[in-house]
Parts: sequence; C-alpha cells; structure tokens
Amino acid sequence: MADIFDAYALADAWDEMFERPGEVRTAYEPVLAALQPIEPSELRFRADQMARAFTDRGVTYAFAGEERPWPLDLVPRILDALEWDLIQRGVGQRVRALEAYLADAYGHARAFEDGVVPWRLLLNSPHFHRAAHGIEPPGGVRIHVAGIDLVRDEAGDFRVLEDNVRVPSGVSYVIENRRAMTRIFPSLFAEQHVLPVDGYAQRLLAALRAAAPDGTDDPRVVVLTPGPNNAAYFEHALLARLMGVQLVEGHDLVCRNNRVWMRTTRGEVPVHVVYRRLDDDFLDPLHFRPDSVIGCPGIMGAAMAGTVTLANAVGNGIADDKLLYTYVPDLIRYYLGEEPILPNVESYRPDEPGQLDAVLDQIEQLVIKPVDGAGGQGIVIGPKADRDTIERTRKAVIADPRGFIAQRPVALSTSPTLAGERMAPRHIDLRPFAVNDGNDVWVLPGGLTRVALQEGNLIVNSSQGGGSKDTWVLAEGPAESPVPLSAGDPLAVAPRQLGPDGTPTVVQEGEQQQ
Amino acid sequence: MNDVILSRIAEALTWTGRYVERADATGRILDAYLHRMLEDPWRDEDVACRSLYAILGMEAGGAPVDMQQVLDQLAFDARSTGSIEGALGAARLNARSAREAVSSEMWECLNSTWHALADQRLAARRTGPYAYLELVRRRAALFFGLADSTMSRDDSWRFVVLGRSLERVDMTVRLLSVRVLDAAHAPDWTTLLSASGADEAYARVYGGFGDTPRVAEFLLLDRDFPRSALHALTTAEECLTALGRPRQDPARRPIGRMRTRLEYLDTHALEDQLPLLLKDLQQACMASMDAVADRFFPYQGPVEWAQEGA
Amino acid sequence: MTAQVTRRLRIKHTTRVSYAQPAASSHNEVRMTPLTLPGQTTLDARVTVSPAATTWAYWDYWGTQVTGFDLMDPHADLTITASSLVETHPPGPLPEAPTWRVLAETVASSRLLEFAGPTIRTTVPDSLLEKAREAAAGLDPHETALAVSTLVADRVAYLPGTTSVNTSAAEAWEQCAGVCQDITHLTIALLRGVGLPARYVSGYLHPEREAELHRPVAGQSHAWIEYWAGDWCGYDPTNRTRADESHVVVGRGRDYDDVTPHKGIYRGVPGGPPEVTVEFTRVA
Repeated sequence: MADIFDAYALADAWDEMFERPGEVRTAYEPVLAALQPIEPSELRFRADQMARAFTDRGVTYAFAGEERPWPLDLVPRILDALEWDLIQRGVGQRVRALEAYLADAYGHARAFEDGVVPWRLLLNSPHFHRAAHGIEPPGGVRIHVAGIDLVRDEAGDFRVLEDNVRVPSGVSYVIENRRAMTRIFPSLFAEQHVLPVDGYAQRLLAALRAAAPDGTDDPRVVVLTPGPNNAAYFEHALLARLMGVQLVEGHDLVCRNNRVWMRTTRGEVPVHVVYRRLDDDFLDPLHFRPDSVIGCPGIMGAAMAGTVTLANAVGNGIADDKLLYTYVPDLIRYYLGEEPILPNVESYRPDEPGQLDAVLDQIEQLVIKPVDGAGGQGIVIGPKADRDTIERTRKAVIADPRGFIAQRPVALSTSPTLAGERMAPRHIDLRPFAVNDGNDVWVLPGGLTRVALQEGNLIVNSSQGGGSKDTWVLAEGPAESPVPLSAGDPLAVAPRQLGPDGTPTVVQEGEQQQ
Repeated sequence: MNDVILSRIAEALTWTGRYVERADATGRILDAYLHRMLEDPWRDEDVACRSLYAILGMEAGGAPVDMQQVLDQLAFDARSTGSIEGALGAARLNARSAREAVSSEMWECLNSTWHALADQRLAARRTGPYAYLELVRRRAALFFGLADSTMSRDDSWRFVVLGRSLERVDMTVRLLSVRVLDAAHAPDWTTLLSASGADEAYARVYGGFGDTPRVAEFLLLDRDFPRSALHALTTAEECLTALGRPRQDPARRPIGRMRTRLEYLDTHALEDQLPLLLKDLQQACMASMDAVADRFFPYQGPVEWAQEGA
Repeated sequence: MTAQVTRRLRIKHTTRVSYAQPAASSHNEVRMTPLTLPGQTTLDARVTVSPAATTWAYWDYWGTQVTGFDLMDPHADLTITASSLVETHPPGPLPEAPTWRVLAETVASSRLLEFAGPTIRTTVPDSLLEKAREAAAGLDPHETALAVSTLVADRVAYLPGTTSVNTSAAEAWEQCAGVCQDITHLTIALLRGVGLPARYVSGYLHPEREAELHRPVAGQSHAWIEYWAGDWCGYDPTNRTRADESHVVVGRGRDYDDVTPHKGIYRGVPGGPPEVTVEFTRVA
C-alpha cells in the first residue's frame, strides 16, 4: 500500500529517522508505525487544526509584516537518552566556560593577559559594555538563560553552531509545540516515555529568585518586555504567566535613589530581579541609547549598585559573537581544564595572519557569517551563492576581516517533514535552552528544533521562513508510571448524589390529539 | 507574588471589561432594532437609524441613513471603538497588553472571537447580521463567564468588573435618553426592553410586556436585574470599596451618591425627573472613571527622554 | 619653573540648567571630582544638587568618580555645584620612550589597545593622518607627541562658540577653529593614527600661573591629552605646554563621551545649553 513515506528519498546528509532508505532508526520505530497508515488528507486536516489552534491562542510570529500561525511540523524530532546525555553535558560545559569568560572579561582579564584570547576581541567589541565592569552578580551568574544552537553533521555528530547568551528566545515554542502535539496527535506518545518540558518556568523562576541581590528575603521578579509589538511578546507573556510574575514595560518601572520600583495601583513596589527581554542598547537611556523609549533610565545604576539584578547580565554580547565562538574550545580547556564535549564547526578567522588568504582562496566553498548578524541575516553560503554575491562578500571580508568568520558548510541533518501530501527530507538544527541558577546548569530536555521548509535550504530561522518540530527526549528504559500504585487499601470512593433526572413521572395526555 | 497589580495593567483590564460590555450592549441594541424594523416595515428607516446613532453617541451625517450603513458603522467598523468590531478589537489589544493578568482562556476567547468576526461579517452580507450579532453576544457572555470562573476575586478581577459595570450604566442611560429626549422618533418601550435583554425578566416581574414608562423604572431601579442602572452601580461601588482605602474616595463618591438617589427615588415622580436623572447618571459615571484613572493609573506612557546638552 | 613646589587650589564648578518648561523628572550622572594621583591629591570634594536630592557615588571603568542622582518631582531648573580642594605638584621627568616596535607590541597585548583606535568622535580622513605621519617621520614618541600637537594647534585656533559638544575632530580641522575639546580630539585622533596611544583628559586649568593667594578667579573646565610612551604623559595642545601643577585631572577616557562632566536625561522640552562657571582660589 502506498503511504506518505513512499517517495522519501534521503538527501546528502544524516537523516534523523532513516539509517538507510526504508530502514528506520530504533527510536523512531513507534512514531513511524503510527504515522505510516495515516492518509495525507488526514495529516493535512490535523495540520490545519493545529494552525487554527495556534492562531486562536495567539501563538504567531511576524513574517513579512503579517501575523502567521507558528509553523509546527507534525513529525517529532527524537533524541534518545544517550544522545541527550551528550548534549546536556556539552551544553552545560559550554555555558560554564562562557560564564567564566564573562567573569574574567569584566574582572581580572586573565585570559587576555595569558594570551588565550586577544585583547582586541574584548576591547574592540561593540558589546563590551564598560558600564558593566566590576559588577559582581549574585551567585556569579551572568548567563541565567542560554540557547546553544547545535547542528548534526554528515557523520551524525552534534556540533555547536553558535551560542546565544544575551536574550535567547524560542523556549515558548518548545512549550507550545509539546502542548499542541499532545492534543492533535496523542496517539504518537502512546509507545514512548517522552521527558516533559513544562518544568521550564519553575526552573527559570527558581534561578531568577536565586539571582536576587543578597539580603532580599522575598525577591520580586518581573519580566521586562519591549511591549506587544515585539516579535517575541507572546513568549514574554507566557513566561510571566507561567512564573506568576508581572510582565512590565519600561514605563511601568521607575528608578528612585538607585533602586527599581514598579508602579502599581497600590503605589510603588520594589523590584529585585528583572528578567529583561530587551537588548542592552535599549535598557537604560541614561547609559546607552538616549532615544530608547522602552527602557528605564537609572536601571543600570541600580544594577551597578547591586540593588537589582538584571538577567541576563548587561554586556554578555562579548561572549556570543561569532568571532569569540572560534575561541570557545580553547576557553573550555583554559577555564575548566576539560576537553570540549561538543565540537565547533571548523572555522576560520579572517582577521588572523594568513587566514584571510585561506578564506579568500576557497570562498565559494565556505559559509561566510557576519560576526554581528542575528537571525540568519547576512549569511552567505558559498556553494549556493551566485558570482555577484561571492564577489560582494569577498570585498566585504577584505574591507573588514574582523567583521566575519568563515566555516566549512555543514550539511545539516534532515528529518521527514510534511511537504504537500508527502514526507520529504528537510534540514534541521536544535536549540537547547539552559538555565543557570548558580549551582547547576540545567538543560531543558528537548529544545527547539527548527526546520528549513524549502528543499535544500540550510537556514532554519523562522524570520527566514523556517518551521519547527516538537523535540522529544526519550527517557531511559520503557515508559513507567511515575508514582507506583499503592498496593494497600483500595481507594474509598464517595458515592455521587443523584437528583431528579427530568423523566416525567406522570404520563397522561390531558388533551386528545386530533 | 501577584498581590499587586501594575497601573498599566489595571487600566487595560478596566477597558477590556468596558469594551466587551460595549460590544455586547451594542449588539443587543442593533439586534432589537433590526428585529423591530422587520416586524414594522412602515417605520421610517432613516429616522429609526438616526435614533440608533443618537443612542450610541455617533454622528449620522446629513445624508439619509439605511440599515446597511448602520451595520457598516456601528457593527463592522474596526477602526472605531463605538462599533462592535472596534470595541472587540480594542478589548483584544487591551487583554493582549495585560496578557499575564487575564487568564489564557479569557485571552483566547477574545482572540478567537476577533479572528472569527471576519467570516461572520462576510456571512452577514449574504444572510443578514443575526449570526454575527449572536456570535458577539455569546462570546461576550463566554468572556465574562470565563472571567467569573478563571479569575481570582482579586484587584484584577475588580477592575474588569468595574469597567463592565460603568459601561453598563452608560449604555442603559443612553438607551433611555433617546426615548426620553426624543420620544417621537424613539423606539417603543418594548424594543428598549429587548435591546437590554430585559424583556423576559420584566415580564416575570410585571406580568407581561407593555409599552409603558414602567420599563424605565425597571431598567433604572430594579434591584435584581443585572443590567439595571441600580444593580450595575451597586456592583461598581462594591468594586471601588474593595479597591480603595480613603474615606473620601473621589471615585466612589459620585457612584455612591447616585446609588442612594436611585434607591430612595419616589417612583411616582420618576417620569418628571427622568431627563435630569439620566444626565446626572452619565456624569457620575464619567466623574468616577476619571477619578479611577487619576488614582489607579498614574503611570506615564512610553516617554521620550531629552538629553542634557544634546 | 616657579619656586613654589606644590600648590593648593579650591575649585568651585557650578552648572546651572534652566529648562524651557519644568522637567517632570530627571536622571543624572556627574563626573566632576578630581582624582588622587601621583602628582595630585584631592583633599576634599563634594557634589551638591539643588533642588535637593540624594546622591550616590561610584568609580567607573575609567577610574573616574561618578556622582549619581535623580529628581522625581517637577523642577524648573537644576544647579549642580562641585567643590573641591586639590593639592598639585609639578610633573616629574618624562619616561624613557620605548622604540616604536616595542610600543606596538605592548599596545597589541594590553589594555592600551583601547586608546589606540579611532572612536566616532576621533575619526579623521586618511589625508589628515598622512599629514600627521609626515610631521612625525623619524621622531621618537615624545617628539611625535609634540610635533602632532603643534600641527593641530597651528591649524585650529582656540575660538569659543565656533563648535558644540557634538563637533567631531574632523569638523574642527575643516573649520580651523574650536575649543579645547576639539583640539584635544584632533590631537588624539592623529596620535593614534601614527601609532601612539592617546587618551582624553577632562579636568580644570587654573588660569593664572602666579595667582594671588585667597583671591577667587574665574576659569573654565578644560581638556587635554595623555599619550603613552612607556608611561602616560600629559600634554596640553591648546596651551602648547606639558600638563603641570596648573592642571587638575578629573577623568580620562577614549574621548569626551567617556568623561562627560554632566550626563543627564529628563522628561520635558529640550532647552538651551547649561550655564557653567568655574571659580578657582589658590589657598597655598
């Protein structure tokens, strides 16, 4: 019988579901078995239902100026317990190293004195905010939340593609994807024990409370949003709601005597921890961009004075630019004395002696990334670019070698994705989210799997037309009930009360039908 | 942790309550009018429509007005908060900006209603506006029902109810004003009753319908009917009492005064006093809302900062 | 050199801001407190504000003492008074300059690097840098600092009122006129261009070398440069002299933006420039 997987032809990359044509990987067996018998029209129907549910819930994103339902593909992306163990340890290690780097850069600068990282990386970075120098964050945490972007290469090995330690976004989609999948496709979950993702908000809240200034008994945490017009407003509101804290805009806050307060119907109330979803530049018009209308003047001063904690810390941008990325394996060895668990993608730094020529020689075989680009903007994929683009890029790299890095193109792994009426391989990545509470870096099991919806496309950002997949981390061993049923007394069941059920008790026709 | 509520959020919640109530009331009024005109085709459509504009406080313009124009402007115009669609849109945006304070179900109710309106609007062009108006009524009822069952009885809830109650008084007053001030062109009492959704309740109290000024008495003074001015004022006052502390509360004072005035009103003299009473009621609501804004919403909107020496 | 080895100066720096309309609130940072350095000791310093406000202080990245305060009630004007008592000493001998090669290596492998590249305010056209390179050809770092400062001072006349706080170095060069801030920015830009790290110094200059004791004289806040030639060396290109016991250092940074004496934002209508007076009294 023909099914939706019939025409599935493996691309020239690692496929997440199939080892070879027709040969499914173990972790995917139950999902394939559940999906295979489903008619394409039925899949479409469910996909439409999901889009409608997302629209109604306001789970949307802006694409080309239009509000669209969040694109979630129906085929989950599955990570088995072993794979997850590696990712979790690798991400945690990465975050610990970046924390150490930030503490160093805004403190004693050992790594620079020791020549591990050149001074110019710090001193010439537009993200090196000298206003943050000397701030000792409670618990030593500057990266309360991190999103580490991973890809899987041709050999099936996970590699880090980039680090996001400023205001990483996307975790709301992890939560919403799971919610949608369990409602639209409950049967898929029947055979496997998938680790839940709904503990994120509690972990985040605990980490934020732990980050409160010393001596605060009952810290008040708020989420600071640029407002409903921000593309990630949905996420800001969701996190505030799940944590049970206020969602504030800049003008809800006021700084007075180097402390931060929020304006409520019962007067001004002190605020201790601000989980801010604003870029540094907009945070405080006194210290940064004076034209910011979404920030709160004085908040930086309060952070310096230690009366409020900003999460993530100001100035984290020095740790996640793409040039520093190339040094992270060295930082892991230098600060932690460990070997990197997750390797980088092989990269070149055009601003180093000799490397510029090496890059220019093979520019049409490399991926060129602007150091400060976000959301996939400005990335040129050599093998897919036309002459003009290559030449323009060549000139740009020569003019500003520090502005770019070059990487070997990785054929991101593929996963079966609904394309029209059939499954087709599409490239995916993975952004796990880590929460650092000062004692422990916890990684949310799963993360956001983004998928490039066009055939062959390697850029997965939703702002570039990408979609997403629910990401499953399988528990070790077979599914079991979390609370063993007690073998003791059977539950005492209270009987239900009953009333009249509306059945007429007297059946008598007083009037003759004629 | 959520023992306090941001001023901005309080304002958004109040207006969410007001706008949903406004959409609901407007829908009921339109429905009653449309129905009446179908039953009574000799009526002058232009005059009837003009009285509708008057009730809703909108300009009808010089040219003759027909029912289609009424629907376009009072139901389907998304840019005016005086129309159903505009009011629901404003309610949705207010709820969106107070996303962590309203429950998800309430937000989804408004959001999905907003998305459903477009289809119903198209359908209304073919089959008449009844399904559209019914959707609005049902969703408004759903919204307040969800508020009832998913919100704690804290200050957030009180601001929603306060907004709804003040809007209720306002709409009831508007409805009666047209009849009182311009009886010749106004709808009859029965239409007013059904426009308030009060026809069945009235029939139970007074035994049957009737085109009598007792309708005004019912809509203003009934203690038990939730859309009566007295009932809504009492609710608003309860909210303000729970929200406020000062003894001389400038928000509660006008409401409290009006409430006592209504409670002890000599019903025989009602007809003579009606014009003045309606005016005072409307002013009391406005004064109260202004005082609420002064006291609870003292924040400033996004501010442009001027730079020293720049 | 005068016989007097050290001198003691009382400085009163008053900044008066009058708003076009009362400001609803304002947030401010003030950098007006003299530093204590090998050649300079701050014996007493205070910053007061009217209308009265609570102030707090911290040291920023550049080592400058910052006073912060905010005014949360409407106010029609704002007066900041920074008073200090400072003891100054004549500068010591110049350090032995390193070779250019050693200097370049030291710069690349230390924090000096942040004083070696252009900022927005100190970006100048290549043609201008070429002139500086010609003037400095074959000279050692100290000679270079002198030559480049002279090049700037010869070109740009000290003419108050011809530029604003936002004028860039390149603009000042073009119009051949400016104030100490512009002359300093230009000198810094050119020194960095020829490979000598240079920084912007904000402070005060006592206007009379041989002032009578206890007689207040009017002066101004001032700006000059420090270049690095084995150690930081102060030079005042506007007055073509080494920074000496008449100069009082408040802060040092890459350019004016790092050491702005009064930085503030307020809710209100943009008004005119503040009224600034600086009064010096030599007390010893």
